[in-house]
Amino acid sequence: MNRLLRSLGPVMTTVIVLLSGVWVVGMIIAPQLIMVEQSFWTKDRSGDAVVISVRIDRLYNEIDVLRFDKTDAEALAPSPRRDAKIAGIEAIIADKQVAIADLEARETTPEKVYSLRNYTIMGQAHLAVFVKTILASVAVTLIAFVVCYPMAYAVAKLATPGKAAIIMLGLIIPYAINELLRVFAWLMILNHNGVANYLLGLIGVGPVPFLESGAGVFVAMVYAYILFMVFPIYNTIETLDTAQIEAARDLGAPTWQIHRRVVMPHAKPGIAVGCIMTFMLSAGSYAVPYIMTRGTAEPWFTQLIYNKFFESSNWNTGSAYAFTLLVACIVFVFLVMRMFNVNIKDIAK
Amino acid sequence: MRGMDIELDNVSIEFGDFTAVSPTDLKIKAGEFFSILGPSGCGKTTILRVISGFLNPTTGEIRIGGEPMTGVGPHKRPTAMIFQNLALFPLMPVWENVAFGLEMRGWAKARRRDKAFELLDLVALGDQAEKMPDELSGGQRQRVAVARALAVEPAVLLLDEPLSALDLKLRQHMRSELRDIQRRTGVTFIYITHDQGEALTMSDRIAVMRAGVIEQVDTPDLVYDAPATAFAATFVGANNVFRGHIASHDGDMAVVETKHGALRGRNPRQVAVGGAVFLFVRPEKMRVLSAAGGKENSIDVTFERRDLEGPFVNLFFRREDDVFSAHLVNAGAMAHDPPARMGICFDPRDGMILPVGDMADE
Repeated sequence: MNRLLRSLGPVMTTVIVLLSGVWVVGMIIAPQLIMVEQSFWTKDRSGDAVVISVRIDRLYNEIDVLRFDKTDAEALAPSPRRDAKIAGIEAIIADKQVAIADLEARETTPEKVYSLRNYTIMGQAHLAVFVKTILASVAVTLIAFVVCYPMAYAVAKLATPGKAAIIMLGLIIPYAINELLRVFAWLMILNHNGVANYLLGLIGVGPVPFLESGAGVFVAMVYAYILFMVFPIYNTIETLDTAQIEAARDLGAPTWQIHRRVVMPHAKPGIAVGCIMTFMLSAGSYAVPYIMTRGTAEPWFTQLIYNKFFESSNWNTGSAYAFTLLVACIVFVFLVMRMFNVNIKDIAK
Repeated sequence: MRGMDIELDNVSIEFGDFTAVSPTDLKIKAGEFFSILGPSGCGKTTILRVISGFLNPTTGEIRIGGEPMTGVGPHKRPTAMIFQNLALFPLMPVWENVAFGLEMRGWAKARRRDKAFELLDLVALGDQAEKMPDELSGGQRQRVAVARALAVEPAVLLLDEPLSALDLKLRQHMRSELRDIQRRTGVTFIYITHDQGEALTMSDRIAVMRAGVIEQVDTPDLVYDAPATAFAATFVGANNVFRGHIASHDGDMAVVETKHGALRGRNPRQVAVGGAVFLFVRPEKMRVLSAAGGKENSIDVTFERRDLEGPFVNLFFRREDDVFSAHLVNAGAMAHDPPARMGICFDPRDGMILPVGDMADE
């Protein structure tokens, strides 16, 4: 802090401290805190709620009756008695209106009851979807790794600089296209009467129900998130001294051993980052499974969260679902880090 | 371990339009410490990579122990390479580095561990076996690289300027260490360097290389005392140069007419009368006189500068645009307090006449 002050001066230091504060609060603490808080309470509408609504209705009726009385009173010839009567009625109406406002406030903001209820009400079906989502995301991650590792290695170590640039460009271009567009394109390819089935039909196979079997989600996801696997791995492999690969080969290592003993250990942080990113994006993906299945195959867990929020209007359960997914993702991150024996510092590099 | 001989038969290496190595014939004897000496970019590392199998020659054939190596990969050749930056595996402890080649040959863990420790004892690193390469000093890492290469019992060890990253003291120490290991194991060493000191002290024979061409292959003594070309004469050690043309012959000697007068020297290449030549004289062969006085091979010069090297001094003289130097033992009046006008001369047997050619850049 003092060093910052010395090298940047008071103004810049204040700006930096403020910005970091905004980042930590706005990006890390606040959203999680709000979500977690939301997930731990339920609205208590039981029993009482019906009574309140009946009482409100009754009060409105009474006010209507009193207004008639007031109109009748106003029709009388002016006299002190009439004025007193009107004033009396108005006072009663005002009282009742206060009572209504109070009751309505109780009805629209029912009492929060803190409990673990939101976490315990997940049914068998939803739990199955949750487990399936996690397993499927692991599978997407593995497929992406199998596809990306050789590609990253080839670009980093085998291609000439010119060719590497072209391949990289080829990898980046699809990402300049809107994600929805890309996913819809795959939808058209894998559709029942899409390009893939047309080609399969030419050799007398199919039609294969890509979308209905859920395979379409895999294909589209691997495609959608492949770059997040390629780049971290590519970056780490690129820093590997080529002489080490040659040394291993010179000492008699076959290709797979060179990768097992030299390249992969070096690329471990990149592989870990790639796996974590791909897993997080797949597990948290909403658009891809939504578009690719359209209700014909089992939904992704994110779709259930969406439904809780916007279809059953139960934000509390939705929050609990979302938080459960977050916890699962964090557990996955730690598992991966443990498995690859890397720590946060390696990953930050 | 037994060394094998290596033959390069008309080997040339081209990268597109660029000729890295012109067609070359070379025979390296079994058990020899052979150095390839040349400036950077002369193609010496390329030759090493071809011998190791990482590169294929454009033309010609390589034979190791009489066996043609065409189509044989680096891991199948009886060679092991020590890389310029050593290329130790940073994520493995020292002993695993040394045992790597044995692991790849399917040795059981206990057995390869024993062998690795044995090799580490050979290079006096037995107590460092469990450390990571990063924890060792430069010289220790160097020895790990040697042990790792020797573990696979190669017949030929290829060394690509492995000492260039070390500081001077350590470099000198490692020279004798490498020489010693070579003698004890009997493995053929092919040593790439741009450092003439390394080549002269360690080698049985040296190949002097320039721009893809091997200009001379000889023992260190002959490379130094009887360079074959102007480049060899100037790249290996310092030399005084006189330009001129041959005026007359007498046996294996000749007289060269230079702008500083007629000078006599040996003419091993038998350059004909009238041929343009350089006459080279080593600074340590140059004698310093208080005045030229008309002696044979003597010229008048003015004293310019004295550089002290400790046991030796280098004196620099000027005559017209040419600068000459003499390397003297730091003793006597001339070494300490040279007069402004003096003479230098040399024995005709110490003058080396060679055809005009490119010299090494200073």
